[in-house]
Amino acid sequence: MAYAIPEENYDLLETVREFAQKEIKEQCKEYDVSGEFPKEIYDAAIEMGLHTLEIPEEYGGMGLDKVTVAALIEQIGIADAGFGTTFAATGLAYKAVLAAGNEEQKQRCADILTETGFAAFCLTEPMAGSDAANSKTTAVKDGDEYILNGRKCFITNAGVAGFYVVTAMTDKTKGTKGMSAFIVEDGTPGLSVGNHENKMGIRCSTTADVVFEDCRIPASNLIGEEGQGYKIAMITLDMARPYMGCVAVGIAQRAIDEAIAYMKERVQFGKPIAANQGLQFKLADMQIKCETARQMVAHAVSLQETDKKYSMESSIAKAYAGDVAMECASEAIQIFGGYGFSREYPVEKLLRDAKIFQIFEGTNEIQKIVIANNLLR
Amino acid sequence: MEILVCVKQVPDDSVEITLDKSTGMPALDKVAVITNAFDGYALEMATRFKEAHGGNITVVSVGPEKARDTLRNCCSVGANAAYLVNDAACENSDTYGTAYALSKAVAKIEAEKGVKFDIIFCGKETTDYTSSQVGPMLAEIMDIPQVTNIIALDPAEGGLSVKQETEEGYNMVDVATPCVVTVTKPSYDPRYPTMKSKMAARKVQIPDITAADMGADASLMGEAGAKCKVVKVFEPAKKEAGVKIKEETVEETVAKAVAMMSDAKVF
Ligand SMILES: Cc1cc2nc3c(=O)[nH]c(=O)nc-3n(C[C@H](O)[C@H](O)[C@H](O)COP(=O)(O)OP(=O)(O)OC[C@H]3O[C@@H](n4cnc5c(N)ncnc54)[C@H](O)[C@@H]3O)c2cc1C
Repeated sequence: MAYAIPEENYDLLETVREFAQKEIKEQCKEYDVSGEFPKEIYDAAIEMGLHTLEIPEEYGGMGLDKVTVAALIEQIGIADAGFGTTFAATGLAYKAVLAAGNEEQKQRCADILTETGFAAFCLTEPMAGSDAANSKTTAVKDGDEYILNGRKCFITNAGVAGFYVVTAMTDKTKGTKGMSAFIVEDGTPGLSVGNHENKMGIRCSTTADVVFEDCRIPASNLIGEEGQGYKIAMITLDMARPYMGCVAVGIAQRAIDEAIAYMKERVQFGKPIAANQGLQFKLADMQIKCETARQMVAHAVSLQETDKKYSMESSIAKAYAGDVAMECASEAIQIFGGYGFSREYPVEKLLRDAKIFQIFEGTNEIQKIVIANNLLR
Repeated sequence: MEILVCVKQVPDDSVEITLDKSTGMPALDKVAVITNAFDGYALEMATRFKEAHGGNITVVSVGPEKARDTLRNCCSVGANAAYLVNDAACENSDTYGTAYALSKAVAKIEAEKGVKFDIIFCGKETTDYTSSQVGPMLAEIMDIPQVTNIIALDPAEGGLSVKQETEEGYNMVDVATPCVVTVTKPSYDPRYPTMKSKMAARKVQIPDITAADMGADASLMGEAGAKCKVVKVFEPAKKEAGVKIKEETVEETVAKAVAMMSDAKVF
């Protein structure tokens, strides 16, 4: 609980912590095995309003400051990173609307989100991963509608989202300047969802292809102007990355918590293994990493909050937190010894969950490109 | 219906509490405080009743300043209003003193709000002193009916139909209102607050009520007025380590266990 948040918000933090610890942490283990979507637990979380944390007050949200939101999401991440990812990915989609949508769209999407609990951001395609500009999905204007065709892949919240933010080419000859962004509401004819990915980790979040076959949407669902889609996607990712960072910090924190408990309990050579300075140093290193990652996340969202430049800091926060989550999860397994490698114990899941944080919303290599571009600009 | 729920802030009962060697009393400095679990059930039951049949819920606590946090939490999970009976004269009251203070507070709140409470909910006991006396004493002082250990209630002709848990099963009891009910664990858990209800509860004004405000006789409350005196507090006896019986075969293990029990004259 090391984020410096307004004193009055500690009661929210405590409420979310208690909910995450009592209703998510243990329950999600079963879903980690089955790969099913824990609908009931999400329903309870939605009942609490955890899906509306990032909706501004004027659109019916709570008007929380960004550091508080980060602290709350970390609590969910500590309990289960897949659960945290689901909410962070919902926030990602809504951010695109906040970044470039008009008033009507901001309000409509806030309402849909409040009602349905989830949203999805569809940028990645089979041939457009890191190279997001290489999009093949098209949007053709037809009167006061657009017709979408194409396939998006690896889309978090596909199948549960109330609305999808979708990038598609409105003019293939113009490269990134020919890409536009749209809102596609769930239930629109021509919108369908493929098979769920059988993932290595974050198995309580759902990931699938999203397919558009002559999917007609009102022209008023265009976000911003034609040709702004790539720019909107990049701004959205800049805004969103620290929040994935705070889920990763949650994994690192969990690794530390589990390690501490085990070190005190496990006896070898007649004393708890916590008595070994070699392991104490490991623990201290985990803490150094976790805390610096957390503060980098807080710094990145604070810059956003105060309208400063934050693109580079967002990338640093996300890439660093992803690395730290991997390192802390791996060290926690080391501290658990053979038991750490067993699925009976909680730490191997942390490593499986951590890996994706170096990959989605731009791989760590891509984050470094962003960082270097910022430096060399 | 107008509903009152009496709540107490208690030390977290999920942690082990030890005695402070110097005072001989429980060392509670570092123990977090929570809403008494049975009061939480009572508030949840009251809230479900309100949601089904309409009404208002007021919560009241006799306690120190920090009990205000507990009342505020109650306002995020169903209570519409809260009062804190906050007076040094109430400190260290025994169960009678607390019930007396509550009875006075009921009259004061009723007068202030211009309402009469139809149902007064209490937890069946508190998790700190587990006396189960405050609810029944409150009903006696107020001279109204009471049903203890309830797990459900519904409106009925002239009052309520109440499900009372017993050791064997349950009784269905009809009771006239106004009445006091004390609540034991029902089949559900208290709800979590929502982010919004939590933030709304921050804005609720929680008035203080002093002994003078409610016209209470201070000599009947607090340490001076206590009818029971705590002479000495004991820690629960530590369980002795058990014996582990593990012979070559299961049969031998069982035979040895039976022999040991026989030696100890267990049967
Ligand atoms: C569980 C999960 C959830 C996801 N959720 C979403 C979602 O909600 N919405 C969405 O749009 N996408 C989502 N994605 C997609 C994700 O963002 C992409 O997988 C990611 O951007 C990488 O793209 P790729 O998989 O095509 O890898 P590739 O782009 O093929 O990359 C392969 C490797 O090459 C490296 N590489 C590529 N280009 C360069 C370069 N120029 N310099 C150096 N190295 C390079 C990459 O870093 C990587 O190591 C999700 C993915 C997963 C697995």
